[in-house]
Amino acid sequence: MAEGKNLYETVIVTSAKLGEEGSAALVERFKTLIAEHGTVQSVDDWGKRRFAYPINKQNEGYYTLINFESGPEFTAELDRRYQITDGIVRTLIVKRDPRHIAPKKPQKPQAQEDGGIDVEAIAVEAVAETESAE
Amino acid sequence: MPDRPEREVRRGRKGRRKVCGFCVDRAEFIDYKDVAKLRRFISERGKILPRRVTGTCAHHQRALTVAIKRARHLALLPYTSD
Repeated sequence: MAEGKNLYETVIVTSAKLGEEGSAALVERFKTLIAEHGTVQSVDDWGKRRFAYPINKQNEGYYTLINFESGPEFTAELDRRYQITDGIVRTLIVKRDPRHIAPKKPQKPQAQEDGGIDVEAIAVEAVAETESAE
Repeated sequence: MPDRPEREVRRGRKGRRKVCGFCVDRAEFIDYKDVAKLRRFISERGKILPRRVTGTCAHHQRALTVAIKRARHLALLPYTSD
């Protein structure tokens, strides 16, 4: 077990006003910042996405997910930098539980639905089982 | 008490018992990035659906609530819609 190191993931949402390059440059700056205090494990660029609600009168932004490893004291510093950086609309820093690492792709709204029918079928089965048990 | 038939517990309301979808999938955590899945657990107005509607177990409902709130913060899901 790595001493004092944790896994984190962070999502940066940058303003669509910056444009593709501007936002990529901004994300690059944070990548180097993270690399100074820890190790960047993976970067996932979701590209431009529509917001579910307008933020600062804008409807779109660029999303980037960065997985990294660092000590616990760095997250406060990272968050502070997020707050004082222009062009960042939203951010999130979440600690990842190493037991749960099952990398999941971010899904666009048109991603496929699954599981709904299965749950129903199993529910019916469960009821039938309890009834026959009586 | 042990012999009480299940009918009476459900007091005449027909309906099959709901099963927690996350337990079925053996989900260990609920990902705030999985917008398509989370959408099934919010109402048309963007509210989080109660357990009694979706059949989610208490454990997963708590995790789901956190995931939905994270997604809302990042504007992946709406707080409200009108």
